[in-house]
Amino acid sequence: MHMFAILARLAWRNLWRNHRRTFIMLAAIVLGSWAMIFMTALMRGMVTEVIKDGISALPGHVQVHHPKYRDDPSVANLIPIPDSEMSAKFAAAGLKGWASRVRVPAVITSEYDSRGVTLLGIDPERERGLTFIDYDEIDGRFLESVDDPGIVIGRKLARTLETEIGKRIVIMSQDPDNEIADRGFRVVGLFTANVTAFEEAFVFAGKSTTQKMLRIGDRTSELFAVGDDYRNVDAVYSQVTELVDAGVEVKSWFELDAYLGTMLKVMDGFLLVWVIVIFLALSFGLVNTLVMAVFERVREIGLMLALGMKPRNILGQIIIESLMLLTIGLVIGTALAWLAVQPIKEGIDVSIVAEGMDMWGMSSVLYPELLLRDVILANVVVLVLGFFASLSPAWRAAHYEPVEAITKV
Amino acid sequence: MNLVFRLAWRNLWRHSKRTWLTTGAMIFSNVLLIFMIGLQFGMYDLMIDNTLQTLTGHVQIQAPGYKDDQKMRQSVADVAGLASSLRTELGSDRVAARGAAFALVSSEDRSYGIAVLGVEPEYEGNVSTIPGLIKEGRFVNGPDAAEIVIGAALARNLRIGLGQELTLLGSGRDGSFAAAVVTVVGIFDSGVADFDRSFAEIPLRFFQDMFYMDGAGHQVVLTATAIDDVPELQRRVAELLPAGEELVVHDWDALQPGLKQAIRADMSSAFFMYGILVILVAFSVLNTQLMSVLERTHEFGIVLALGLTPGRLGRLVLLETAIMGMLGLLIGALLGAILTAYLGVNGFAYPGMEELAAKFNLPARFFPELTLPTLLAGPLVVFGFTILSALYPALRLHRLHPVEAMRAV
Amino acid sequence: MTAVRCVDLCKTYHQGEEKIKALDHVTIDIVEGGFVCLSAPSGGGKTTLLNTIGGLDKPDSGEVYIAGRRIDNLRKGELAELRLRNIGFVFQAFNLIPVLTARENVEFVMQVQGVAAAERGEQALEILQEVGLAGLEDRLPADMSGGQQQRVAVARAIVSHPALVLADEPTANLDSKTADGLMELFCELNERHKTTFIIATHDKRVMSYAKRLIRMLDGRIVDDIEQNAT
Repeated sequence: MHMFAILARLAWRNLWRNHRRTFIMLAAIVLGSWAMIFMTALMRGMVTEVIKDGISALPGHVQVHHPKYRDDPSVANLIPIPDSEMSAKFAAAGLKGWASRVRVPAVITSEYDSRGVTLLGIDPERERGLTFIDYDEIDGRFLESVDDPGIVIGRKLARTLETEIGKRIVIMSQDPDNEIADRGFRVVGLFTANVTAFEEAFVFAGKSTTQKMLRIGDRTSELFAVGDDYRNVDAVYSQVTELVDAGVEVKSWFELDAYLGTMLKVMDGFLLVWVIVIFLALSFGLVNTLVMAVFERVREIGLMLALGMKPRNILGQIIIESLMLLTIGLVIGTALAWLAVQPIKEGIDVSIVAEGMDMWGMSSVLYPELLLRDVILANVVVLVLGFFASLSPAWRAAHYEPVEAITKV
Repeated sequence: MNLVFRLAWRNLWRHSKRTWLTTGAMIFSNVLLIFMIGLQFGMYDLMIDNTLQTLTGHVQIQAPGYKDDQKMRQSVADVAGLASSLRTELGSDRVAARGAAFALVSSEDRSYGIAVLGVEPEYEGNVSTIPGLIKEGRFVNGPDAAEIVIGAALARNLRIGLGQELTLLGSGRDGSFAAAVVTVVGIFDSGVADFDRSFAEIPLRFFQDMFYMDGAGHQVVLTATAIDDVPELQRRVAELLPAGEELVVHDWDALQPGLKQAIRADMSSAFFMYGILVILVAFSVLNTQLMSVLERTHEFGIVLALGLTPGRLGRLVLLETAIMGMLGLLIGALLGAILTAYLGVNGFAYPGMEELAAKFNLPARFFPELTLPTLLAGPLVVFGFTILSALYPALRLHRLHPVEAMRAV
Repeated sequence: MTAVRCVDLCKTYHQGEEKIKALDHVTIDIVEGGFVCLSAPSGGGKTTLLNTIGGLDKPDSGEVYIAGRRIDNLRKGELAELRLRNIGFVFQAFNLIPVLTARENVEFVMQVQGVAAAERGEQALEILQEVGLAGLEDRLPADMSGGQQQRVAVARAIVSHPALVLADEPTANLDSKTADGLMELFCELNERHKTTFIIATHDKRVMSYAKRLIRMLDGRIVDDIEQNAT
């Protein structure tokens, strides 16, 4: 321990001997680590938004379907368990959030035009806050119960169909016997969605109303459940699996949407690559600084060796010096990144490229997300790689011959 | 070789390790920049091509308002005649007329609401990749044959195969009931199930008869030979429009507004990263050149005393930096070109890329682009910053006082 | 008791085509408490002999014993340990670690040895007083004169009471008055602590302080005389 104290003191004083060089290197490290962490926070925030939006569109962390439903999303492939039986079990299980819904392709027709849509028969109370619909941002009103006779459609669809709140439209689909099932609805509300395509794709009606129209009794197309953290759905997954019988398919969100699932993984990989790239860009300067420092100090290193200091202590001294430099830079860089995130914590508006963000599956407000584990990852990677980068100059310093070193002019 | 150049060259190699480390930083970032920029632009081109070539094309002639509302009555009169005259005037076959309507398509068991496109069988292949994606059967061929091609996922969901009949139900341009029976002659597979489920194609003349279009359609689709020729194409098409008819010419950016913005959003984050990389290199150069100036204080003092001006010394330092920067540029560009050319032929994959790429109709392997701009843009910026960062050390020389400088060790 | 024994030491350097015999069958015994001057013209082999005795350099053949222990066949780490515990060094120049103060430089060796902070602080102060540097303890080497720096080096060499102190041209960069002061200090320390001193020099006046004077030429001992110190 005492040796460490000596080495640390020598390293610290040597660090400030050529303060100009140290400051320049420090500035580079600060900038590098700031960029690492700030960029990571932005990217993280972006990915989290994409995933959250994606999950609210699916919706849910875990979904239950008839095994054939995903390839053939029709009324023929309903969950083979009565909805009331399933609902009773789920209600008793104390899940954070769950709902069952009817989801079938349908045609919506106004006086002027028709379009193909996905009809969702939902339980509005159960789904509150679990999907992309913000109940408070509805023009008119949202559905009020499973028996609600009205329908809520997207604002864009209403424009295409030239319909509006209070007007009637007809929904046409099929019952399980392939007979036409249709019903007239009064439009009671218009919704807006972050992803404008949703405004044309989905229409919402009461679950019971829809079941009656489709003549499917007490059956639904899908059930979804939400856990505490989308990153870890194992608990919800196993809970849901236990609640439903065999003969249904239980899938987590990352299986349901391969894009969202890989996004998270690719992001982790990308962050590591980004941190390493920045480090490599820094490493040339770092090694250079150390080589110079060692070069300038050949004589005193020789002296210390002559006095009986062991080569590995010289090695240690150079490495400590390097790690000190990195640590100071990292601390300042991390602190600046944290500060840079503060004013934009509530979100930065990137709506100038809104439709582009839409295409990447993102909303037009970006919320940076500074995760402790990303900060730790960046810092640890830099320190570990920094250690290895310092080995070569340190090794050289440690292996000077004292006699030659000390007589070098 | 001129004497000043020889002096600068020798000075550089007094600390060959330091020079190589600094040059190494430049080479590293140049290689990375060439690769990344090449990859990025290669990807953008693919994104644009893949998104536009399936259906949208580069330029479309439409009725005003059709782009946003897509109503049946917002039509282009004698659409086939217009397309034909454009083909003659432009001397290009890459022009095709289309009609678009919504219809309920039913097999014996199932019905789905989809978009039905009326296409010119002989020209559609020039503006869209769909005819080339036929996996089973053939594309529609008679101008008024009762034929249809549908996507693989739709065929599966309709439980229908080649040679079987489908019923189309919709409303005509005048709002009257429109119906027809068509035979499935081909099944296409784009690889994206949701896309394949969303539309089907029938011959244009048949479409016009079925929907009471009276020779009208909704779009004339054109593609340019290269994306850069689009503005020119759009301008010429606008000039060739028949007088007296109210028509608009949209380019791809208007038709797919998300695309350019997606690229712009991606570019801004990429350029942030490149910027950081370049500045880190600049710090490295600044450090090296400042050290090299400081350690030569004594020597510079002598030269100043001999009567050399600080300005000339400054130019010497800049020349040294320029030589170093040139080395970094040449070696970096060479290595970057080799790497990018290699990957341009063999492709580059990143784990998880496949799923992400699928979302944007992109292949799983990327092929970075190597053009003069993608090759030189990065390295030239690095070179510029290299010279900039040597300015401070060079200007410091003006503060040097010969007598004091000579006293320095 | 013999402090240093060298038996038949040989060492040849190659300088380009030329072979230089730095040590040519050198055999000497130095008794404990000796005060020996090695004198030779430049390149006469005195530095090589000093470095070989100090374990900084290895002979091509022959044996070196310090306090009866053979050292020429020790490994690097063992030699470092030996230098740390048993030998004090004073070099011609660049004796001090520039980032440490006088006191820290003196403490340095003790600290590496693992001596407790309180003890070594006290010893360092004492020894700095002894070499006449009271009041300058907290100066950095750059803020001291050449003579003062050499005194710090001497203080560091003797602070852990080594049996042997090796000094290579310790007065080379000093004016004559300062040099005399330093030599008197050496004599005093030799008397008081019975430390063996071996000083390589070509300065006549330094030689006059020696109890024993060994002259070398081309790697060989040409003269070895006991003399009475003035």
